[in-house]
Amino acid sequence: MDKESDQPLKIIILGAGKGGTALIDLLARERDCVEVVGVADTNPRAPGLCLARKLNIPTASSAAELIGKNGADLIVDVTGDATIAAQIAEGKSPETETMSGTTARLLWMLVREEQELRAQLTQADKLATLGTFAAQIAHDLKNPLYCIREFAQFIEEEHDSDRIKEYSQEILKADQYLTSIVDGLTAYTRSTCSEPESIRLPELLDQAVKMSRFATTSNAVEVVCDYQPVPPIRADASEMLQIFVNIITNAVQAMNGQGRLMLGVKVEEEKVVISIRDTGPGISAALLPKIFTPFFTTKERGVGTGLGLSIVQTLVKKYGGEIEVESEEGKGAAFTIRFPLPG
Amino acid sequence: MAWLVSERSVEGRVLVIDDEEQIRKVVGTVLRKGGFDVVEAEDGAKAIELLNSGDNPMMIDVIICDIRMPHINGTEAIKYFRAQYPSVPIIVLTAYPDFQLATSMLKEGVTDYLVKPVDREKMLMAVKNAMEKRSLFAT
Repeated sequence: MDKESDQPLKIIILGAGKGGTALIDLLARERDCVEVVGVADTNPRAPGLCLARKLNIPTASSAAELIGKNGADLIVDVTGDATIAAQIAEGKSPETETMSGTTARLLWMLVREEQELRAQLTQADKLATLGTFAAQIAHDLKNPLYCIREFAQFIEEEHDSDRIKEYSQEILKADQYLTSIVDGLTAYTRSTCSEPESIRLPELLDQAVKMSRFATTSNAVEVVCDYQPVPPIRADASEMLQIFVNIITNAVQAMNGQGRLMLGVKVEEEKVVISIRDTGPGISAALLPKIFTPFFTTKERGVGTGLGLSIVQTLVKKYGGEIEVESEEGKGAAFTIRFPLPG
Repeated sequence: MAWLVSERSVEGRVLVIDDEEQIRKVVGTVLRKGGFDVVEAEDGAKAIELLNSGDNPMMIDVIICDIRMPHINGTEAIKYFRAQYPSVPIIVLTAYPDFQLATSMLKEGVTDYLVKPVDREKMLMAVKNAMEKRSLFAT
């Protein structure tokens, strides 16, 4: 498996159940050093096969179809099927190594552990972000609560039925507003273990803007949207929301709550392209290469964990996407995310 | 009808500045029920426009102003009012129980700092007190 060149290691995964899926998920994020060249499972609905298709990884319905594939450096067998080992031994190219049985189980355990830690970290970042929103959330909850209390008192004192009706409608309006805040918070804090769903990016971007409003006490951010028609993408809505909330919150905080936020979605060169730009102070050339590094932050203690953009990058890669940032000091920052066009 | 009586401008005129329509309606109703005449503006810019629109600014006896608003926020608007109309008392009405902000606002010359949700009596008392201060200045 020792390669002289800088070529990524080519890996075949046999078995696309839980273990195989977790392995594909992990390796897909390390595309610079690892390339999954094929995934096989006899069950056409195996979750790993679905994930592989989404990531444009070739799939097969039997191990035999992949075992003899030329150029693979390693076959990882997580089928748990003893007969597969014999098939591999018989059919594989001499230069291809194998990992199966106990070693594959050990690998699966480590991958599962990594997966759990990553999920915990992602959730922790979400809750930490939410913590910084607390003052503003309290503010936004207090206003409708105040209105409900006062309108209820007005009703108690009122005899005119038209006015009573008018005040009741105001209470319902305040209730709707409260519900929308709570629904937004619930969607954002939901654990990311849900099934992928069909996501309309403009709606999710708008939802992220609403959440990110909590990041500032100012109310002077002008939001300019250029949403061109794009097909819905399949992803975990909570994870997608976390990507956008993180970037937009950074933008709003960088602008100190005053400036212009420009959001765009379009299809370009077979990719769904999402752009998020701000008119903040920008990022210096010295800091730019570090922004996706875990625990790197320019925010004050207690404001940022330094995990946000690192998690954003991980989540973008998980969906086969890429993220890049362009910025110059004094000229704002522009983040561009590209996801493969859904097939 | 009690409503018609209370809507009459008997106590003075209050300018209520808040970007949320419901808050303006609540505060406006409380004040009208308390006997005040009420003028509303949805943000600092609109309030400044209103005050400079040819109406005699002295017609406004008290300003009640929110802090978090688009265009020109409360702190900027308050600075402007203090400079342009120093004799008009200003009451801050905000949902931020922020001691530092309250201190800095009081230093700016704000008469009172009320935190939502505020009791009706407390709000009316704050407006009446502000109004009395204005009379003291005037005499």
